[in-house]
Amino acid sequence: MNILEIKNVTKKFGDFIAVDNMSLTVAEGEIFGFLGTNGAGKSTTINMISGLLRANSGEIKILGKDIHKHSRFAKKNIGIVPQDIAIYEDLTTYENVKFFAGLYGLRGTQLHKQVEEALEFVGLSDKHKSYPKSFSGGMKRRLNIACAIAHRPKLIIMDEPTVGIDPQSRNYILNSVKKLNEMGCTIIYTSHYMEEVEEICSRIAIIDHGKIIAEGTKEQLKAIITNTKDVWIEIKPMETIDLNKIEAVSGVKAVQMEENLMKVSSDVSVNNLNDIIQCLINDKVEIRSLKEQSPNLETVFLTLTGRSLRDH
Amino acid sequence: MQDVMWLVRHTLKKTFSNKKNILLYFGTPLIGIIISLLVYSGSNEKNVHIGIVNNDPHYITNDTIHFIKGLEHLSVTNIKESEIDDQITSGKLDCVLVFHPGFSKSVQQGRPDHLQIVSIHGSEITGFIKSYLYHYINNISALGKIANGDERTFLQMYERYQQSPFRTSVHSLKDTSKNIGMTYQTIGYLLMIMLFSAGNLAEMIVKEKENRTYFRLLSAPINGKRYVLSNIIVNMIVMTGQIILTLVIMDRVFHIKTNIAFWQMAVVLMLFSLVAIGIAFITVAFANSSASAGAMQNLIVVPSCMLSGCFWPADIMPTFVQKIANFLPQRWTLDALLKLQQGHSFGSLYLNLLIILAFALIFFLISAYKFGRNNNVNNFV
Ligand SMILES: Nc1ncnc2c1ncn2[C@@H]1O[C@H](COP(=O)(O)OP(=O)(O)OP(=O)(O)O)[C@@H](O)[C@H]1O
Ligand SMILES: [Mg+2]
Repeated sequence: MNILEIKNVTKKFGDFIAVDNMSLTVAEGEIFGFLGTNGAGKSTTINMISGLLRANSGEIKILGKDIHKHSRFAKKNIGIVPQDIAIYEDLTTYENVKFFAGLYGLRGTQLHKQVEEALEFVGLSDKHKSYPKSFSGGMKRRLNIACAIAHRPKLIIMDEPTVGIDPQSRNYILNSVKKLNEMGCTIIYTSHYMEEVEEICSRIAIIDHGKIIAEGTKEQLKAIITNTKDVWIEIKPMETIDLNKIEAVSGVKAVQMEENLMKVSSDVSVNNLNDIIQCLINDKVEIRSLKEQSPNLETVFLTLTGRSLRDH
Repeated sequence: MQDVMWLVRHTLKKTFSNKKNILLYFGTPLIGIIISLLVYSGSNEKNVHIGIVNNDPHYITNDTIHFIKGLEHLSVTNIKESEIDDQITSGKLDCVLVFHPGFSKSVQQGRPDHLQIVSIHGSEITGFIKSYLYHYINNISALGKIANGDERTFLQMYERYQQSPFRTSVHSLKDTSKNIGMTYQTIGYLLMIMLFSAGNLAEMIVKEKENRTYFRLLSAPINGKRYVLSNIIVNMIVMTGQIILTLVIMDRVFHIKTNIAFWQMAVVLMLFSLVAIGIAFITVAFANSSASAGAMQNLIVVPSCMLSGCFWPADIMPTFVQKIANFLPQRWTLDALLKLQQGHSFGSLYLNLLIILAFALIFFLISAYKFGRNNNVNNFV
């Protein structure tokens, strides 16, 4: 069953089109990655899903029901982790989570139990009575997550939950996402960090200027742009090499030489690194360093949008 | 409604977990009482000196004199008829009551006569004494009328009347003008505090937008209208607390007699609390940050309170200022309270109350309109 269906949704701010005729489905059980540069329209899309913004046209369904016709149902099934941390600095950790969970109608012991659970889950159960004022960025982000999951939503939407935090908190959050997914939650995950998306997401959409320009599994995305991989070989300066010999190695498509750096592009499916090195050793060329670069999402992104994901 | 109450609880808890806020919302109204006590401490205890000439020795006359001696803020001395002019002109006495022979008989016959009041002060003093004295004498002469000349029946009724418990209540007369002034001062100050409180509480809406929790709230099953409703309820709770606290402390601790029934006072002030919320919402709707909302409130509240006479009686201001004051809701609220103190019935004040209500309604409509437009611009539902 599709937990989320977005059909031909457009959102304009004045004349500016933030989301442009977007269509998208997310199936139950996925960790769905949302990749895009600053201002691509990720948060705008998420705000429409959570009912904060109304689309100019198109429709959005949660578990098959229109989010505006069944607003209560939709909101109860969604847990939103906003990009801008939304917690009360003058309430304790426990009170924060309790308040938000209570908005979903939970009361009494059930409420208490689920709040405890959520705090445990994000690793803040020893910080019950602390005020977030004293928290690090990572702890605030984790509290932000606890506030979104305490009412046990089926779909959790995380808008850049790892921005500006320490690596430890970041790992904690990434592991939490995987755990939530194993527990049966569907997750939509937005990030600037390619490695994160690559690590945890089962499916990814690349969004640019309000449009989805590519969508699929990691492998599918990589296959779109390339069937070559590159090896960078640094050699001792002033050495002379016969490039023709290397070009002759099976699988090699092109060789380029820039000063003492050689770039060898080969077919992804052929494993020819040994042969290339053997060739150089035979010519008594001294190898200083060697780096293999298989296509990653970064290059996919770069190729598709003409921009790096993190050039801001 | 359950979710609205959850928000109300949350806001109250958040506000009053900070002890400073308890002081801010419930300490400041008391400052008004203290200021008015200070302001009126000088004009205190003005005793009226009365001389009495008794040329009609009889138990009815004696009891009448006894009744006068029992009134508060009066000092009574017995003098001779020949001393009257001297005592009055020298200012030692404010007025003299002369009971001529035949006074008691005329009362007993139901036609009071032979009583003379001598004063150079005019009605401001004699009027006060007359009202109590004539009330008393009329009661006695009513007994005389009923007895219709029968001495024994009259005496029986007279004795019963003198012993009846409700007579004692007449003794609790006080100088009401001072109490009226103190009430006015305290309530005027309370109105200002209510305006500021409502402003502060409504400002939380802007603050929540600034720290993004507002948008997080709206992604839960709560909408903007319910959220605003919860803010109105919090406002009402806090201001009701302020009103009750002020009235109770005025009465119980400082014994300031407002001369108005508690519930009437409370109803008028509760109506004004709606106005306060309306004004607060306008500032919130037009301000684009909590800082500018606060600045707007300062700009509106203090001058309008001054113009409408919250700090001093409106009639000491020039007439054109008084005319401006007619466009301010504080003026109509204070006016309603003054009229109640002067003994107008609550029902006769419907025009005042309607005007206050109309102010509240207009303010709410303006802010709702502006809120609506804001939301269109930001496209938040
Ligand atoms: N309320 C608004 N009014 C006008 N323009 C807006 C509004 N909200 C967003 N935009 C514009 O819409 C575009 C998309 O913004 P959005 O916040 O969705 O981007 P994003 O992909 O989340 O970016 P980021 O990675 O910076 O969070 C941006 O150009 C932004 O300036
Ligand atoms: Mg964003």
